[in-house]
Amino acid sequence: MKIRWRMIAVLVICAISLIALTLRKNATAAPQSPAPSNATVPLLPADQFLSIPDTTLAINSTTPLSQRIVHYAIDAKYDASKHTVDATEVLTYHNLTGQSLDHFPFHLYQNAFQPNATFVRDAKLMGTRDTGYEKWEAKYYGSENIKSIEVVGQGDLTRNLQFVAPDDNNKDDKTVVDLRLARPIPAGTFVQFKIAFQTNFPETQARSGWKRDFVLGGQWFPKVGVWWHGAWNCHQYHNTTEFFADFGVYDVKLTIPQNEVVGASGVEVSNVNNSDGTKTVTYHGDDIHDFAWTVSPRYRVHESTYQAQMGPIQLRFLMQPAHWDQVERHERITRETLDRFEKWYGPYPYKTLTVVDPEPGSAAGGMEYPTFITGETEWWLPDGLHDVEGVVEHEFGHQYWYGMVATNEFEDAWMDEGINSYTEVKVLDSILGQNTSVRNFAGATYGERGEQRDFYIGAADLDPMAKNAFGYVNSFSYGSVTYGKTASVLLTLEGIIGEETMTRAMQTYFMKYRFTHPAKEDFLKTIEEVSGKDLRWYFNQAVYGTQVLDYEVLGANSYPTNWFEEKKDDPKKEKSAKDKSTVYQSYVTVHRKGDFVMPIDVEVKFDNDEKVREHWDGQSRWTRFSYVKKAKVASVEIDPDHIIHIDRDNFNDSLVVDPNPKATHKLSTYWLFVTQWMSQAMAWWAV
Amino acid sequence: MTNKGLLSSGLARVAHNKRYIFWFWLLNLTLAEFGTAAFRRSAHAILDHRLLAERLVKGFDWGIFGNLLAKPEFGSMNSKTTPALYFGFTFLLATALFLPGIFAGYASNYRLPREEFFRACGRNLWRFIRIMIVAGILMGIIAGLLFNANGAIVKKADDSTNEKLSFELQMIGLGVIFLVMTILRIWFDLAEVDTVLNDQSAVRKSIAAAFHHTFRSLARLLGSYVVVTIVAALLLVGGLWIWMKFVSPESVYGAFVVAQITLLLLLIPRFWQRGIAVSYWQMRMLAPVIAVPPVEPIPVLSVATPPVPEPAPVVSSPSIPPTETPQS
Repeated sequence: MKIRWRMIAVLVICAISLIALTLRKNATAAPQSPAPSNATVPLLPADQFLSIPDTTLAINSTTPLSQRIVHYAIDAKYDASKHTVDATEVLTYHNLTGQSLDHFPFHLYQNAFQPNATFVRDAKLMGTRDTGYEKWEAKYYGSENIKSIEVVGQGDLTRNLQFVAPDDNNKDDKTVVDLRLARPIPAGTFVQFKIAFQTNFPETQARSGWKRDFVLGGQWFPKVGVWWHGAWNCHQYHNTTEFFADFGVYDVKLTIPQNEVVGASGVEVSNVNNSDGTKTVTYHGDDIHDFAWTVSPRYRVHESTYQAQMGPIQLRFLMQPAHWDQVERHERITRETLDRFEKWYGPYPYKTLTVVDPEPGSAAGGMEYPTFITGETEWWLPDGLHDVEGVVEHEFGHQYWYGMVATNEFEDAWMDEGINSYTEVKVLDSILGQNTSVRNFAGATYGERGEQRDFYIGAADLDPMAKNAFGYVNSFSYGSVTYGKTASVLLTLEGIIGEETMTRAMQTYFMKYRFTHPAKEDFLKTIEEVSGKDLRWYFNQAVYGTQVLDYEVLGANSYPTNWFEEKKDDPKKEKSAKDKSTVYQSYVTVHRKGDFVMPIDVEVKFDNDEKVREHWDGQSRWTRFSYVKKAKVASVEIDPDHIIHIDRDNFNDSLVVDPNPKATHKLSTYWLFVTQWMSQAMAWWAV
Repeated sequence: MTNKGLLSSGLARVAHNKRYIFWFWLLNLTLAEFGTAAFRRSAHAILDHRLLAERLVKGFDWGIFGNLLAKPEFGSMNSKTTPALYFGFTFLLATALFLPGIFAGYASNYRLPREEFFRACGRNLWRFIRIMIVAGILMGIIAGLLFNANGAIVKKADDSTNEKLSFELQMIGLGVIFLVMTILRIWFDLAEVDTVLNDQSAVRKSIAAAFHHTFRSLARLLGSYVVVTIVAALLLVGGLWIWMKFVSPESVYGAFVVAQITLLLLLIPRFWQRGIAVSYWQMRMLAPVIAVPPVEPIPVLSVATPPVPEPAPVVSSPSIPPTETPQS
């Protein structure tokens, strides 16, 4: 008996030890679980109640327009005195990746504004259009801290958060945090994250933050990465990158002081005053992939309705008091741009569009968020300087090229900024005139296509279009290529395939890829399919290469075929007869200076007004055309139809045999005036 | 003497000596022609044989102009602005050289002969350079301080939620700087006039006298100078308006003529200010003349003329010793 009890006790102890060891092994193995598999994992109880809403409150459609992956429900309180947001975020994620997911990366963009962050490091190295960071100031500091994160059904996983730096391994960069789950999320199911976070805005940098009593809340909440091409795509925030996110539904409650005027993405659902002097404004957005907001106590609001193809759009303009007289300019360009985009590319389906005129002197101007854009102007801006029109049109264009056709701005910046710059040229040319769409003031003019080309030729041979946005040699090259080069390349492409075909291709691309994340080949193949042309020779050089196009007229010579005969009689008499009867041998030499090979047309004009068109495939370095005519060559012009917009030097595209100094005289007169006036002014004060 | 009196008197001096304006304009134009030669040469080389240049003739395309400036063959902008600056500086020195003659001409009530003009120029050149140096240092320091103060105020105003405040403060600041610099200009204009017309070799005395008078008649002098400056601004704006409104973009000669007429007219206001300075000097700063009691007229009495004696016969006389001049 005694022995029996002893045996039983030993067996029990062994069993307990075994169970304990097994449990311990499971507990330690869980965080280091192997790569997710498609093996069926029992559903978590909470999953059964989760879903992404199929609301259509914010769109002119009775059914959702995108495949909704995310639903963000955020309850945020903004402290205007500290420029901070304290919020809770409930993110529901629909796993449509086709495989189970055991970790989720999140963007924490506001952490970019810290001295050792990659964003600031890049800005110091590559230059920036905003803050130069020559000297660090406290007001530049921004942060986005996750206080806690709970995964429904898995408990609080805050301790599992780990900062990662997939692009540059910068240990001090905290713009991406990875959350490893306790259990993987099976394919096709939902997961819900409950996050408490605090965002501390910097003084406006990269179109986000505060200035005086204004704030632009952009990239302000923890945002999950995108599962794209079989992997998580969640890059760090760089000085030259923008954003990438999944489509979904946003329900955002903003609690702000009652004196603030607020604008945000989506439609306003409610506006309730609270007893503590604050108010809570609730917004809802459908089929969008980001949410931005702004408040300022001094906005003046103008609202109107635009009847779009899918239904009415409420246009809302939040203007600075000193710019109130420009509200009509803002509205006019918005309406005309909407008209062109709907006519040429496709419908705008959202019920709202908010145009924000941000705080003067802030780095918040010229930014796009879904259904929400910021313009930029000055109180003194005359009508002939079309800066307002340019920026409002450009940012609205992003509603299509970024907002709906949601390309990866980290990896294919040219597909949003560049395609948008191309449509900017088209739209502004049609509204403000081809040569006057940027400047039409005091007799001086400047057109959009010229501006884009000039931007491009500033850094023509440094980087290709097809490159990660954070991989450019410097921020100027990034801007030059993604905006200027892409626009010029597409304008030239339009010249190659024809304007009508190009418009059709753009429309096809938009309609096919709206509410998706297309990549570069999706766009290029669409162009080829619609045009029915093999355009690889062009794309390989223009999109994937750094070749530079530069053709020049190397020479034009004419001499009489009978030059060796002796001259007789009266030279004057002979000259008049000679003009009509002399036969000339003429040569025209054209040179391909650059390494970009492209077939070109050449127009040779003779002094009897006869014109001859030549075509050259551009394969060799140079070619020569020869003529025997009773006329001399008067002028030669490469690309007489002006379809090429990527030629680095437009001056050498033509040659006039007899000099015409009129332009020089005109410029010299201007320069002379300036010089004389300056000397008079100097003498006025000095003696 | 009222402001109006000063203004009209100053303008009358300019009107009576119109030739000075013409010569200065010619000098200004000639020097500027040299100053712009590098620009012209570079532009000829690029534009004269290119069809693209048409877009600068039929209008003014900023893009084409920018492309021209960016071309390596055109050279750097420094290579264009530096000669213009040098020739501008030469014009300034030439003004300093000829200004004494102009003051002398304005002060005289007859057409100043060429010799007197150039004598005044030569005699006062070094004095003027000294005045210029003193004026330059003083004006430089004061302008520097004022611009810095203005900049600090404007920067502070940038924090304001009133967007126009910084601009308004900047304009007010520039207005104040303009007035202060104009006062300094009046002071040194009077000093220059005093140096020439008083033939004052000790320029410090002229500067001191001018300082005293500038502030004694500040309102009148400043008012006159400001009015003339406003006229200059109107002339400039008017000239540019006519240029833009009535001269077609293709008309190079039209542009040249309007530009030169504007520049010629723009020379007048500064000469007018100098005329005002001369008028003021003659009225207020001329060395006081000792008061002489009025001479009582003595009635002319008819007296009998004594008979004229016969001349003495000419004889040789001993040499007369020279008269000794009493030393003062």
